Amino acid sequence: MTESKTLTGSSLLFEVLKDHGVQHVFGYPGGAIMPIYDALYDSDVKHFLCRHEQGAAFSAVGYARAAGTVGVCFATSGPGATNLITGLADALADSIPVVAITGQVPTAAMGSDAFQEIDIFGLSLACTKHSFQVTDINELEKVLHQAFEIALEGRHGPVLVDIPKDIQLAEVTQRLDKLSHLKNKVQLPLADISKALELLTHAKQPILYVGGGVGMANAVEEVREFAEKTGMPSVSTLKGLGAINPDNENYLGMLGMHGTKAANIAVQESDLLVVVGARFDDRVTGKLDEFAPNAKVIHFDIDTAEINKRRTADAAILGDLKGNLPLLTTNLEISVWQQRLQQMKTDFAWRYDHPGDNIYAPAVLKTVSDLMPSNTCVTTDVGQHQMWAAQHMAFNDPSNFLTSAGMGTMGFGLPAAIGAQISRPHDTVIAVSGDGSIMMNIQELATIKRYQIPVKIVLIDNAKLGMVRQWQDLFFDGRLSETDLSDNPDFVMLSRAFDIKSQKITKKSEIKAAVEEMLDHDGPYLLQVQIDAAENVWPLVPPNTANDKMMEGA
Amino acid sequence: MNPMTLNKYQLVIMADDKQVVLERILQVTRYRGFLINAMNAEVNTGNNVATITMTVSSDRPISLLVDQINKLIDIKGVKVDNSEVQIQQYSA
Repeated sequence: MTESKTLTGSSLLFEVLKDHGVQHVFGYPGGAIMPIYDALYDSDVKHFLCRHEQGAAFSAVGYARAAGTVGVCFATSGPGATNLITGLADALADSIPVVAITGQVPTAAMGSDAFQEIDIFGLSLACTKHSFQVTDINELEKVLHQAFEIALEGRHGPVLVDIPKDIQLAEVTQRLDKLSHLKNKVQLPLADISKALELLTHAKQPILYVGGGVGMANAVEEVREFAEKTGMPSVSTLKGLGAINPDNENYLGMLGMHGTKAANIAVQESDLLVVVGARFDDRVTGKLDEFAPNAKVIHFDIDTAEINKRRTADAAILGDLKGNLPLLTTNLEISVWQQRLQQMKTDFAWRYDHPGDNIYAPAVLKTVSDLMPSNTCVTTDVGQHQMWAAQHMAFNDPSNFLTSAGMGTMGFGLPAAIGAQISRPHDTVIAVSGDGSIMMNIQELATIKRYQIPVKIVLIDNAKLGMVRQWQDLFFDGRLSETDLSDNPDFVMLSRAFDIKSQKITKKSEIKAAVEEMLDHDGPYLLQVQIDAAENVWPLVPPNTANDKMMEGA
Repeated sequence: MNPMTLNKYQLVIMADDKQVVLERILQVTRYRGFLINAMNAEVNTGNNVATITMTVSSDRPISLLVDQINKLIDIKGVKVDNSEVQIQQYSA
């Protein structure tokens, strides 16, 4: 402990934020967090006023993912705090380090059903990695440091700190001496390196199955080197996209429900899966019992609980991927397998020669991908446009493709793009959205307007909740229930109301010039792309079906 | 009516004596698909460590629950009593 000048709890919060290098926060004020917003007035931290607390949470997520750091958001008690929950759940599902600070009614009023009182601490249990409620000013500093450490320690995740108003106003005169306050749990490491090497040596048809953990572990370089040196064919999950160099000749693209035909067939035929930072998600495996039925599994992960959770590992290597994966680098004699998969990749390559004058969504996203600067960060919302972006755009790093993978949260894309742009002001940021998703957090156009954030929005508009409509057509006898959005607002007019330049295109001949205009524009821009409402995402592995039994469209 | 075979396990959980720790354990246990048959919690006020003894049953492997409880920040450790008992429960 060190004696220092007297600080209020609120001022102490900003001191700790400074200790952790926090420069930007996203939030929305209200009654129970007013002392913190008063202290903000004198702080060097730049606050971005979002227009809904969910927008603030997603902006913090986008910030964290794009910059590889902790994202911070503020909200008041009651509805402010509950509005954060979807963003925190999203961060938990995708392992994103976020620290959420909520105001709470004064401790004396807690438990009395006070105005704007909700037990956010209780609500946080299922949607955060950890949470705190501070009821003693002398605990505040330690708790705040712990929040940052927990968010980044091991498997990343969101941490909530609920601070009652009287604690925000209480005074403290002592500061802690050290930054590290986490008690490290001792865990026996699982490290079947020799077993893994033996499995590799005997493998004739191995596949490297790459997940979002690679980017989180800062191990992109090591995974790419492993893929290059071993020549092992690779596939990626949605969240792993960008980890493998898209130009790697043995890279087959995304696997799973909307994965490439080559990736899914290769995994099904493999005799060994080397799984790096992935968790056998149900959207990846299809019918679990029939997923890669002949494959042994080497599983690398930072989280013990993922080992053997959905698929038994023949060798488990727990811990830091960056240090562990190079231990497995070895020569493989798999040229027959490589050639077969390269041929399959050629045979099943995407085609963009769609007939007619209408815009084919994959073609417009391919054009955006081809024309955008190399370090562009793309965010998406959730639905058909998300899968088309994953299939048809190329990313050179996982931090350049931010999508709500685990939670699948519509409304993610626009505020996440705002956060990404704040964290990387010199890079182009593009939000690919759909006409259903964008309306989920459309109020964030006001945030873009206020701060003139130069986010580009590619709005894929089919006047439908397209993915649900596709499933209703395919699996519910075409009974289209509540998926028609033909009464959408005029998005061009809407954008102009927020001083955002915009354009609508309807013909394929307009694509290239429109994309170039969008990318050349200095400020924010919305490009509305009208597509055929009947267009489906292909291929599709139907629910509870093996991945090699995929449906393919016309 | 199909009989569902449930395995019964006894867990001994050591945790920091935090007010919320029982809620966290209950939430994880329910969410991961385990029924609580019995529970006892005591605190050693000398070292502020709580010991929670819990009998749970499920058709799922106990490692699933142990790994998830172990991930909780306030948990110091989880032990499983190996004497596994099978019980049959009839679902409606």
